[in-house]
Amino acid sequence: MKKILTIASGLLLLTLAFAWWMSSRGPKPVELIPTLTGQPEYCITCHADVPDISPSHPTVTFGCVTCHGGERLALNADLAHSTMRGGANPSDLSVVEASCGGSNCHSGSEADDRNHIQRVMTSVQSTYAGAIANIRYTFGAQTDLNAHFGISAVTDDQTQTGITSLAPFDPASETNPSIQKFGEECLTCHLRAEPREGDAYARQTGCAACHSPAPPLSSGEGWGEGKIHTLTTAISYAQCNTCHNRGNYDLRSMTFVERDDHPTQRIDDYYQPIAQFTQCEYTLDCVDCHTRDEAMGDGDIHANQKSIEYVQCKTCHGTPTELPLTKTLTDPNDIAFRLAFLNPVVDLQLGDTIIVTEKGEPLWNTKVLRDGTYEMIGKATNQYFTFKPVMGSHCTQSGEDQSSSYCHECHAVERQP
Amino acid sequence: MRPSFFHHLHPPTIPAVQSRWRHTLGAGGTAILLMLILGVTGILEMFYYVPNPQEAALSVQTITYHVPFGGFVRNLHYWSAQLLLIVSAIHLLRVVFTASYGRPRRFNYLLGLGVFVLAILLDFTGYILRWDEGICYPLVTGTNLLKTIPLIGDFLFRIAVGGGEACNTALLRFYTWHIFGLTIFVLILGVWHAFRVRRDGGIAVPPPQLRTDNERISRNELVRREVLQIFVVSIVLILMSIFLPAPIAAAMTGKPIVTEEARAPWFFLWVQQMLKWGDPFLFGVLIPFAVLTLTALIPYILPEPADADIGSWFPKSNRLAQIIIIAIALIVIVLTLMMVLT
Amino acid sequence: MTDLSRRDLLKLARDGFLYLSSALAIGGLLRFLDYDPNPKPKTEFDLGAASDFPLNSRTLLSDVPAVLLHTESGFSALSLTCTHLGCTVEEKTDGFTCPCHGSRFDKDGSVMHGPAVQHLASLRIEITNDDRLILHID
Repeated sequence: MKKILTIASGLLLLTLAFAWWMSSRGPKPVELIPTLTGQPEYCITCHADVPDISPSHPTVTFGCVTCHGGERLALNADLAHSTMRGGANPSDLSVVEASCGGSNCHSGSEADDRNHIQRVMTSVQSTYAGAIANIRYTFGAQTDLNAHFGISAVTDDQTQTGITSLAPFDPASETNPSIQKFGEECLTCHLRAEPREGDAYARQTGCAACHSPAPPLSSGEGWGEGKIHTLTTAISYAQCNTCHNRGNYDLRSMTFVERDDHPTQRIDDYYQPIAQFTQCEYTLDCVDCHTRDEAMGDGDIHANQKSIEYVQCKTCHGTPTELPLTKTLTDPNDIAFRLAFLNPVVDLQLGDTIIVTEKGEPLWNTKVLRDGTYEMIGKATNQYFTFKPVMGSHCTQSGEDQSSSYCHECHAVERQP
Repeated sequence: MRPSFFHHLHPPTIPAVQSRWRHTLGAGGTAILLMLILGVTGILEMFYYVPNPQEAALSVQTITYHVPFGGFVRNLHYWSAQLLLIVSAIHLLRVVFTASYGRPRRFNYLLGLGVFVLAILLDFTGYILRWDEGICYPLVTGTNLLKTIPLIGDFLFRIAVGGGEACNTALLRFYTWHIFGLTIFVLILGVWHAFRVRRDGGIAVPPPQLRTDNERISRNELVRREVLQIFVVSIVLILMSIFLPAPIAAAMTGKPIVTEEARAPWFFLWVQQMLKWGDPFLFGVLIPFAVLTLTALIPYILPEPADADIGSWFPKSNRLAQIIIIAIALIVIVLTLMMVLT
Repeated sequence: MTDLSRRDLLKLARDGFLYLSSALAIGGLLRFLDYDPNPKPKTEFDLGAASDFPLNSRTLLSDVPAVLLHTESGFSALSLTCTHLGCTVEEKTDGFTCPCHGSRFDKDGSVMHGPAVQHLASLRIEITNDDRLILHID
């Protein structure tokens, strides 16, 4: 008996020593106390290699949990990740308010121009209102082309467009099979949509769809190698391309045919064979001309893309009888400076004269030169361009007919068939 | 060898039959050991646990992941608590199957049953103290069951929860019940129970004239056997605590999480299964209470086991008691399995 | 009065006093524990402007919990608290299911499958003069 007791006590010592050894193994917790929250978090124990997402959101200030959620104290991956918002995309619009919102962040006041979330929620890129109305009209579910439905319900009390609310589009309550098919097949794009299954699609909703550059993808590839932790306002053509050149729809079968190649030739690989381009349309990046309001919405609910997209060739080039609108920056708080600060491709100075749109939005990457010509710096490419106004050229197009389709008549480039 | 304090807790000699492992299974002693471990590890956890709805789950994460050996201590506490219920149940089955509850041990049988019930309540309140997203529904249903009791239901609910909505307000009360209210009762009943074992003549065996084996062992030998059991149980417990982490989940936000199915802690799954059948008062209160009452009445309403049968396994003279307790155990197990498998 | 009966009387009185004292102490303890220090659970929820809930919309109010319906016949709200033991029911395609004990309700809140016996409660909606919605849990 005494012998057994000795052996047992030895075993007890062994198991205790084993317990000690087991609990001293494993990674040393690495603490981060973001200055914004003051609450310790341990994400960087494993994620030390994740770079700051942008100069405006340094990790030492924001930490990880502010945007991503999650259990900040847990050292077990499953538990730590269990309450993350939106998985790989905390900016998905279903959780964006908790991740990116707050009055000091991106759901601030309209006067400060910090109401990004509210504007995006009502934008056509989120609501898909135009296409839904069009399809319902085409298949007889509504008698006009007015927008009644969005991907989710949105309301706007102070609308300038006359549309105060959109009801959520519910394909199940439609009777026409084509509209039902449309509901099944075509509601997975757009910022407010529920993203399709798979890592490759996780970042194609919410803010990340535009501001977090994705590798070129086809049929779900492209995420694994290059996990990207970046937010930027230097949004390249390739980023817009991930959605706007992802494939083509087939109206007869009401399906979306995803392309399986990597479009490289901008002019030839565009999904719509009939589209026409002038040189600047395939040389510049989309955001070089198209403005914040067009892409992110202006806070009002619009019926369709046409109702919000307004920048035309003439915005920069003017017409035979008019020069483009310009503005000399005299207010140091001008929004143009903030935009140039976020994407410092130009050194904008007080007293510089830049082109503005008819709604007053600054094209802050342009400048009016002394000789009456203009310069533009590519927001994503940093390329330098100069251009001349139409006025004084031999263009004879009437001032009335200035939409881009008229310009395409002469200036479009021949595409490969 | 001069007897130590620990030796003095034991009589100088006891009949060898009383201390055979195959007779007692060491269940009662193991239960005492587990309670001591629970007391020590529980006090250690109190150094870091914060009984406040905003911080409770976070402090559990602090204990688990950041306090040196905190996870180990918490696992010890968790597994001791779960083993305590199993060991207590085995102890109860042993007492019935070896006809050991007869006079003069009837009252001590009730004391032991009381300790068992308190251990279940302690396990449930301890489970709630995790205050993670999984505990809300069991808390809501458990405390709403109290409300279904006629006349005194609301009163009992307020005593247990303090009023309000359970998932927002119950933490402080459950903390106090767990740390103090229930613990003090389990301490009193447990010490009383152990004291009564000796007062009632030690572990149940036939009277001396009916015994075939009159060998006696010294308390030194008895203590050695106990120490061996302590070592074995401790080793098992330590290994479990190394390899099987206690459940942990994200902090509760005051609202239950969206889930397909919410499960009660394992020892209440049988009640949850019955609750699927209908009236909460009947299935959630009356029937469990009836099961408890029936168990408690076994020494009082069934014929006394024959003296010669005391201490032998599955004797003839208390068949009915064995059948009743087997039926109860089987029903509880089957209900639990139904809940787990569906 | 004999000595014996006097002693009995004294003992009786003493025991009686002690029992009454215990009863008082226990009664006091129970009353002590019976106090509810928490603010009363909210019974009114201000949902904001009625125009935030367009016609034919269904809005999940997870704080309540309830679902708000706006139909041709006006606003109505259905409590999502299971009538059986108080868990929150989950919305399914054909109605609601309780995650705790499996009660099922149809889209209108009527019991389709037990153990619940009572239908999900309809909650009262008040529309204020300035066109705001107030939800009452009575």
